[in-house]
Amino acid sequence: MEKVMLKVNGRVRQFIVEPDRVLLDVLREDLRLTGTKQSCDRKGQCGACTVIVNGKAVRSCLQKVKNLANAEVITIEGLGTPENPHLIQEAFCLSGAIQCGFCTPGMIMATKALLDRNPNPDEGEIKKALEHNLCRCTGYARIIDAVKLAGRFMRGETTPGAVRPDPHGPKIGVSHPRPSAMIKACGLAEFGADILLQDPLEVAVTRSTEHHARVTSIDTSAAEKMAGVLGVMTSKDIKGTNRIKIMVGDQPILAENKVQCLGDAIAIVVARTKKEALEAAATVKVTYEPLPVLRSPQEAMADGAVQIHPDLPNLCFSQPQIKGDASTAFAASAAVVQADFSTQCNHQAPLEPEVTVAYMEGEGEDAQLVVVGRSIEIHLHMSNLQEALGYENVRYEEPYSGGQFGQKSAMNTEAIAAAAALHFKRAVRYIPSLEESLLVSTKRHPFYLKTRLGADKNGKLTAIDIDYIVDNGAYMVIGGYVVMRSLWMLSGSYNIPNVNVLARLVYTNNPAGGAARGAGPPQVTFALESAMDMLAEKIGMDPLEFRRINSLLPGQSVSTGHVYDEWPFPELCDSIRPTYERAKKEAAASKSGALKRGVGIGTHAFGIGGPGDEGRVFVELDPDGGMTIFCAVADPGEGNDSMLTQIGSHVSGIPMEKIRLVTRDTDRTPGMGPAAASRMTYMAGGSLILAIEEMKKAMKETGATSYEDLKKAGKPTRFMGSKKTEKEGPLDPKTGQGPSFESRIHAIQMAEVEVNTETGEVRVIRVTTAVDPGKVLNPNNVVGQLHGGMDQGVGYALREEYVHGKTKDWNTFKFPTMKTAFDMDVIINETPRKRGPLGAVGIGEMTMVCTAPAVINAIYDACGARIYHLPATPEKIKAALASKK
Amino acid sequence: MGDEAPRHLDSSNVGQRVRVLGGKEVLLDKEDFLWHPEDWTEEVAAELARESGIEVLSEVQWRVIRFLREYFAYHGRAPLNRDLKAGLNMTLMELESVFPEGIRRGARRVAGLPNPRMCSG
Repeated sequence: MEKVMLKVNGRVRQFIVEPDRVLLDVLREDLRLTGTKQSCDRKGQCGACTVIVNGKAVRSCLQKVKNLANAEVITIEGLGTPENPHLIQEAFCLSGAIQCGFCTPGMIMATKALLDRNPNPDEGEIKKALEHNLCRCTGYARIIDAVKLAGRFMRGETTPGAVRPDPHGPKIGVSHPRPSAMIKACGLAEFGADILLQDPLEVAVTRSTEHHARVTSIDTSAAEKMAGVLGVMTSKDIKGTNRIKIMVGDQPILAENKVQCLGDAIAIVVARTKKEALEAAATVKVTYEPLPVLRSPQEAMADGAVQIHPDLPNLCFSQPQIKGDASTAFAASAAVVQADFSTQCNHQAPLEPEVTVAYMEGEGEDAQLVVVGRSIEIHLHMSNLQEALGYENVRYEEPYSGGQFGQKSAMNTEAIAAAAALHFKRAVRYIPSLEESLLVSTKRHPFYLKTRLGADKNGKLTAIDIDYIVDNGAYMVIGGYVVMRSLWMLSGSYNIPNVNVLARLVYTNNPAGGAARGAGPPQVTFALESAMDMLAEKIGMDPLEFRRINSLLPGQSVSTGHVYDEWPFPELCDSIRPTYERAKKEAAASKSGALKRGVGIGTHAFGIGGPGDEGRVFVELDPDGGMTIFCAVADPGEGNDSMLTQIGSHVSGIPMEKIRLVTRDTDRTPGMGPAAASRMTYMAGGSLILAIEEMKKAMKETGATSYEDLKKAGKPTRFMGSKKTEKEGPLDPKTGQGPSFESRIHAIQMAEVEVNTETGEVRVIRVTTAVDPGKVLNPNNVVGQLHGGMDQGVGYALREEYVHGKTKDWNTFKFPTMKTAFDMDVIINETPRKRGPLGAVGIGEMTMVCTAPAVINAIYDACGARIYHLPATPEKIKAALASKK
Repeated sequence: MGDEAPRHLDSSNVGQRVRVLGGKEVLLDKEDFLWHPEDWTEEVAAELARESGIEVLSEVQWRVIRFLREYFAYHGRAPLNRDLKAGLNMTLMELESVFPEGIRRGARRVAGLPNPRMCSG
């Protein structure tokens, strides 16, 4: 041990530490300064733990305390408070630079160090100063804007008051800062790992080292005897079904007699410290009898392939989609293109790793099991836990959540921590490493798509034929829904009169697929939009014009047969055309030499408000004239707090500061369905409006103007609103015909790239998104979603691929950085939607659905290399260029 | 999953399904819970009860059903057992004895309370 004096946020403290103790752990664990975050297993890859030491921004996970004698340390908590924020914190809130907020404290501290030494940095200097800080939500553009604004504040060129929208002015169409922004900017928002528990036990899990095997024995005796260990549990100790069941109950919490996937949980160890728990978990002896490992859908569908699950065949779900007569239409087509495409397994990569805490509240048989996790559907997951654990009295709460991008439709650490808390009747924390989080969380499904697309001599689409196979991985999670979503939106922006599709979902021993931003449409759209460019070239038509003339028109139907009465896509083509022509002209001038520029586009019409969807929101008038909104609306970064507050204030007339939200607790909220499918603005916002209208109706009927008046009139002060979509019911199982989403968000994305034809490397110069999201409620939030989606879409196109057991951290994942950031432009058309709340729809997923094909089409435009299999790595581009020769 | 032979899934058995109950078309989920609680009628309840092995709903069973529906209307979610016990002044054993399929599969389903769900479709 060594004694080290440090001055932390102005206070001199002494620390007696082991030689390897790092500053991050002293700050978080000893001083409870949890604004400093940890994501990357202390490898210095993410910058979430950035603090200032002796005036310099440092990653505190890399700083050994013994080397910091007498250092002056400033953390986010030393900068400002919500009541008295630092100008940098104000700038981040006002710029829309804060989404999930997990990276924010580190970003702000890096900014502070920069501006202290350089009050007026240019963009290159900003990128350099923040190059070690990762963000998955924003695409970095608004963070750069925030640094610039902070500089202006600090140089006295403007003030927060001059920039901040008037909170008493218009509520809709205005970038009011998110209600949660300042608490995140000050490092005071409590994420899962920040929750303070009294004497918690730490959880570690023994996981399968096999991809597919029978488990013949589990020996926990050595682990049970180890120092600090309170106990070990296996599936035998779980009293319920031991099954996580989102669609079907195929996933054990703890393996029984078989493992289906590398990393399956087998035993839970709880101990006084995490180190003790991990060491004990490593001593649990599991013996396996290996089974054949099915590494692809093709292997899993082969004759004689071993069946992975007893109750469902490997080919577990299939659904055709038949409209018109594609065969005849292809025969009569003037031009037909066909190709095989595939998309990779990918990770959603929220910056916050998995985390759950759980404890028993109360005593004896009336004790309530409280699970604090990052679910985006707390009521469904609570219901799952009740059955899986055989314990009914469960409450699910959600802390602040560091992004999720669909991943938290699934459960993993929640079930482990809940099982341990229930079994040992103690408060537990399960905070796995990033490596373990990557291993166990769901992934974006890989798709394999045999695609054919035809057009007549006038360039009008005639038919589409896609035979696609989806790798479900080892567990269903929401695999069937992902296939359904891809079918509902299959024909994208276009009128394709003849459709012949077969979609098949297949179990393998690969990691389980789950929801991932877009969930299905990004994969199919990659094939469709690549084929659209191939067909445009074949018939000699400009790609944008080809798309415009094939736009669906009001009165026509999509591939499910669902007829739409509004489809403002042609207007969007017109809006992006000047930018497109400018880009084409610039690219045409840069075709000589090894560096070649290209322009590509992709489009989509993303569905909002699925068949049979419904929301449920309560509002309660408060005695002080305020209003509390009760609804289970997770907000892992999208800005749902803004949406509810601004709509609530606008429709009720109650000031925003008196709108209160209760959204993260199953005991206090109605079921609302998932914060997924870009549905919260449409379904929760729509339900909120209906609830407020009920409240206003009651007040009008009684002449009440206040809470007191309503009470005196004997009326309730609590009102429910439930928005339902107009159409419902399943697709026909034989034809795939039936209702689709009731509204759409339309988008065209255009990528400008530069391809190095010698190295195969691609530099993305700019991505432009032209979008019609209906009425914009909060411009900063809409643009923020677009930026983040474009960044994720480019990563999906060019770099990111999850390889099970090999992708172990943010470097091996190829996480986007300031270095890979590119220029982003946004063009917004606002066509109010008839059925949308205040004319709005939703935007969270559309923003990356067509990015990858735009990039791939741009690469082709640049150098003639057509990439059919994502991601477009330099090796694939070089191979495509070589085959062209 | 149950003990049935391996089956195959498609759009007809993963999400919504339409059935005639109580003389009208009603949307249900894959576990035969009502999709929309507003579709519930006493006739629908009687038919769902018959499927649960209850030929005629007793007054006690109706009392449980009415409590469940009133609770859902106010809270927008199903009650926990502690709320049921307190609201009905019944023990868990008494509650389970009047609905042979249990509180969730029996009482809540017959009362027309929907399951929490991940996606529509």
